[in-house]
Amino acid sequence: MGELDRLAMYQQMVRIRQYESRIMQEYHADKSPAWDIGAGLIPGEMHLAAGQEPAAVGVCAHLKKGDAITAPHRPHHFALAHRVDMNKMTAEIYGRTTGLCKGKGGHMHLFDPENHFSCSGIIAQGLPVACGQAMAFQRKGTDHVAVAVTGEGAANQGAFHESLNLAAVWNLPVIFVIEDNDWAISVPKDASTAGASNADRAAGYGMPGVRVEDNDVEAVYEAAGAAIDRARAGDGPSLIEIHTLRLFGHFEGDAQAYRPELETVNERDPIPQYAAALQELGVLSEDQIASIQADADAEVDAAIEFAKSSPEPAPEDALLHVFA
Amino acid sequence: MANGATVGVIANPASSRDIRRIVARGPATTTNDKINSLARLMEGLAATGVKNVLSMSDAGGIAAGLAGIAAKASAMHWPNLDFVDQKITHSPDDTINAAKAMQDAGVDAIVVLGGDGTNRLLIGSTGSIPVASISTGTNNAYPRRDEPTVVGFAAGLLATGHIDSAACTYRAKTLTINAGDISLPALVDIAVVTGDRIASGAVWDADSLQEVFLCFAEPDAVGLSSIGGRLQPVSRRNPHGLRIRTDATSPRRVTVPIAPGLVRDLGITAVTALPPGETVAINADSGVISVDGERSLRFTADTPVTVTLQHDGPVVLDVPRAMHEAALPTTTTKGEDTHG
Repeated sequence: MGELDRLAMYQQMVRIRQYESRIMQEYHADKSPAWDIGAGLIPGEMHLAAGQEPAAVGVCAHLKKGDAITAPHRPHHFALAHRVDMNKMTAEIYGRTTGLCKGKGGHMHLFDPENHFSCSGIIAQGLPVACGQAMAFQRKGTDHVAVAVTGEGAANQGAFHESLNLAAVWNLPVIFVIEDNDWAISVPKDASTAGASNADRAAGYGMPGVRVEDNDVEAVYEAAGAAIDRARAGDGPSLIEIHTLRLFGHFEGDAQAYRPELETVNERDPIPQYAAALQELGVLSEDQIASIQADADAEVDAAIEFAKSSPEPAPEDALLHVFA
Repeated sequence: MANGATVGVIANPASSRDIRRIVARGPATTTNDKINSLARLMEGLAATGVKNVLSMSDAGGIAAGLAGIAAKASAMHWPNLDFVDQKITHSPDDTINAAKAMQDAGVDAIVVLGGDGTNRLLIGSTGSIPVASISTGTNNAYPRRDEPTVVGFAAGLLATGHIDSAACTYRAKTLTINAGDISLPALVDIAVVTGDRIASGAVWDADSLQEVFLCFAEPDAVGLSSIGGRLQPVSRRNPHGLRIRTDATSPRRVTVPIAPGLVRDLGITAVTALPPGETVAINADSGVISVDGERSLRFTADTPVTVTLQHDGPVVLDVPRAMHEAALPTTTTKGEDTHG
């Protein structure tokens, strides 16, 4: 891994973090009354991925144009790392006509055909879709791969097991990425999952299963690189479980009273840890930290401004571009 | 035969899940496999009259799974099962803290479920307590692949005083790498590799190898120690270790299983004995040091790096010898023909 790879990954993590932090501010800024998730400029629920940047950045660093990702209801980090346009994505979150889905999807329904990116609010339902995409890549004779991202709670859904089974039977070029952030909304993993690691479950389907323990972007990068190379070479699916960190609540407004380790989350933040590691390696200077942050600030501010200044859909267009 | 014998049990919930599942066909040992191994161990311990088992606590499901089986009617004959009252840190400290708590509790023997990495953590934490190992890791040159039920017999016979400790234990060798303020021990191997990556831990890239130091080298091993095993075997009880220098262009070749299912052809430039107690400088100017197969430390020319072999590791319970020791009185006194 070269210096440029490391800097690029750090930069991408900072960019995502700035995005999630600013969306959090904007989401709450005009949410009045606070319990009304329909109020304000950003309507609906909001699930932010701060703390989970290493998963998205370490995986997406290996993807090329034409590879596919299906993300879950917490999708922003994978969308940004997979080259989804920040302006169009933000406009979608604000429900504007310039958004990816013309403002009718919102933050849990970001569809970007150009980059083969999609997400869903329905738990584990992106996995069968990724298998379908992978089958298409396989039948077309390409070396493209599909990445199916889900949380650890979703690994108890039938769709998860059906997808692993099908991917193994058909030797599909798909990588199942589980973001284990310890909490399925408010349910701890040991209260919902038989077996401590979902990496174990891969063995039941005859595919390799790896668990990356430290929310370390370089460890994710190495494991994902090996799995993606394997899939591109026609050697079939793999599963990577990443033990990551949900820095914010399950949704914005979640008081997280169920979370006993809440006071330690900031000290486990992966971005300052990676900055310190890169500084120790001599790859990153204080000046670069400041300029990378400034670039991220400017890009995110511009995207939010783009969204706010874009038109809202007209009432008479409500039935356009939807199935009914 | 009963007495108050207590056996400590340490099981690493994180072993067998690293990147070698993808890059080297590493086997998977699931949490349920580990719980099952411990249940088999408990049967062996129960059969020898061990009264108490003190187990490590973990948040990886092993302790909870074992407690669940122990509560069932079918396990009523097991030793009394307690768990170390420890703060779970999800780090190697959990294993070290458990071992220290067992030492404080005065256990008669410790059984460890894990690979080379788990056993390595016990260096300096188990004192003179005999330690038996059950293999669940990936490369596993250090722990043998003994059946847990039989390990339970061996540890139980030792803990209850039925066999002589001196006849079936020995002190493991260690290698210590010193780089500036940092000092890291190993039970099997220390390797010098090129590059600066330490993130994913495991070493599987043969071309990156520059130099390997070994505590022992068995010809039937897998992993880095198999290099020495093929070139110049060294037993675990031999006072010396081994030092090997590699160079991809060397005409002297050796083919070894560098990881499970990953066979590589290496160029060798030198193989020399590594005497105990002698501190030697490594050959390279910069790179990464791996300790028992896990990349652990970057170094540059600014920091002198040395390696020392010593006989100060855990006290190893040799399971085959222990079982042989236990078998002798029966076979010599009764002389029964069991094949009749």
